[in-house]
Amino acid sequence: MKPDAFNGQLDSLILATVADEPAHGYAILQRLQQRSSGAFELAEGTLYPALHRLERDALLTSSWSAESKRRRRIYDVTPAGRAALSKRRREWRRFSTAVEAVLG
Amino acid sequence: MNWLQILADELAARGVSGRARHRIVLELRDHIACEPGCEERLGDPGALAATFADELASARSRRSALSAFGALAVTAVALAISQLMLGRVGYPGFDHGLTPALFWPALVGMFLAPQVALVSGTLAALRAVRRRGAIVLPAAELALITRRTRIALAAGLATVAGMELYVLNFSQRLPSWWLGLTGGLALVAGGALICAWRSLDGAVRLRSSTPGPAGNIFDDLPVLRWRWLRARPWRLGVLAALLAGVMMAVFEAHAEHSLAEGVQRGVVEGLVAALGLAVLGRAMGVVTSRELLAGSPSDSVFALESGSGSRRVGEDDRVQAERVIRDGFARGQISLDELSERVSAIHAAETLAQLRATLTDLL
Repeated sequence: MKPDAFNGQLDSLILATVADEPAHGYAILQRLQQRSSGAFELAEGTLYPALHRLERDALLTSSWSAESKRRRRIYDVTPAGRAALSKRRREWRRFSTAVEAVLG
Repeated sequence: MNWLQILADELAARGVSGRARHRIVLELRDHIACEPGCEERLGDPGALAATFADELASARSRRSALSAFGALAVTAVALAISQLMLGRVGYPGFDHGLTPALFWPALVGMFLAPQVALVSGTLAALRAVRRRGAIVLPAAELALITRRTRIALAAGLATVAGMELYVLNFSQRLPSWWLGLTGGLALVAGGALICAWRSLDGAVRLRSSTPGPAGNIFDDLPVLRWRWLRARPWRLGVLAALLAGVMMAVFEAHAEHSLAEGVQRGVVEGLVAALGLAVLGRAMGVVTSRELLAGSPSDSVFALESGSGSRRVGEDDRVQAERVIRDGFARGQISLDELSERVSAIHAAETLAQLRATLTDLL
């Protein structure tokens, strides 16, 4: 699936991925690809501006991890992020149900 | 030069510095370390740096406009308290101070500068709020927001300076508690304004490359979308000056119990408002202009596709062509090596025909 196909949905996909368990950028990408069975073809770098944007909007929080040898930024969902995710899920289900009803 | 180094340089070139750049580079370094050789999939480092810079510039410009509005609110409260207290003490005659050289600048600072700050600061904050949902704003629009913010903060600082000059001018006439109160309030307001200015500095350093129009006051205030007003924007200036003059006339006539006094001050207020709009209107996006309504023609791909092939290219053309090439790389149309070759060719191109040759299969 080309990047244009999920324009506007990347933030929701990231929130859903991080909501299960805090993770660093590469792990978030791996989970995204596993869950979508590799359907999303995005330039991997675009993940990071999205992560920073979600953090600026207080939907994600992040901190440096001391566990690995390298410095690693770990992202977690904030309560506001969980609320936003629930809202986006409801909207998406309503939207996809409507589209499916029309397409048949 | 490796991918990370190019990213770091591109971030620096776009004004992303300090902790923000350090964090981005460390995160991407960790990503590459997880899967060595994945640089190609990360995308063009220049395009990635541009995305970071564009988004940061938009977020920081909006934040600086709102911070400035907050600082101006503090200044307004400080000025209002000072004036209310002065009303109780009794206004000293203008010739009872130390020197007119202090009095007149103080008057300008305390009565004209706040009006400029109010208009410019409100317009900046209004645009920031109205565009809060946009991830990236056009560079021209960011320039408009930061320009309005800068004018508002400068006017706010002039207000604070005016208060301090007033205190100094009447230091031998007014009670010490009022002098201390006003001087202290002005210092607090000045501190808030300086903090807001620092926030603005952080936003201005970032260089956004997103094309698009800046918009103007008719976009900020949809209520003003009357055709007769849009067709001749100077009419808006006249209308605003008239409104300010009438409001001042009514207020002063009531306060001074004198119609003549009210009319006199209303006329002065109207003239000053008209002068202010004439001087600062374009900078604040109050007065429309072709440049504000639409991006420069050289900003568009159209400019590259049209025109004589023998025309010599300028820096704007090269920037636009590079953007097309980088978009092509981001979409997977060309490889990293081709990107590098074509960018070199763009910078070597002297005519439009040579520039078009680098883009033939991308436009």
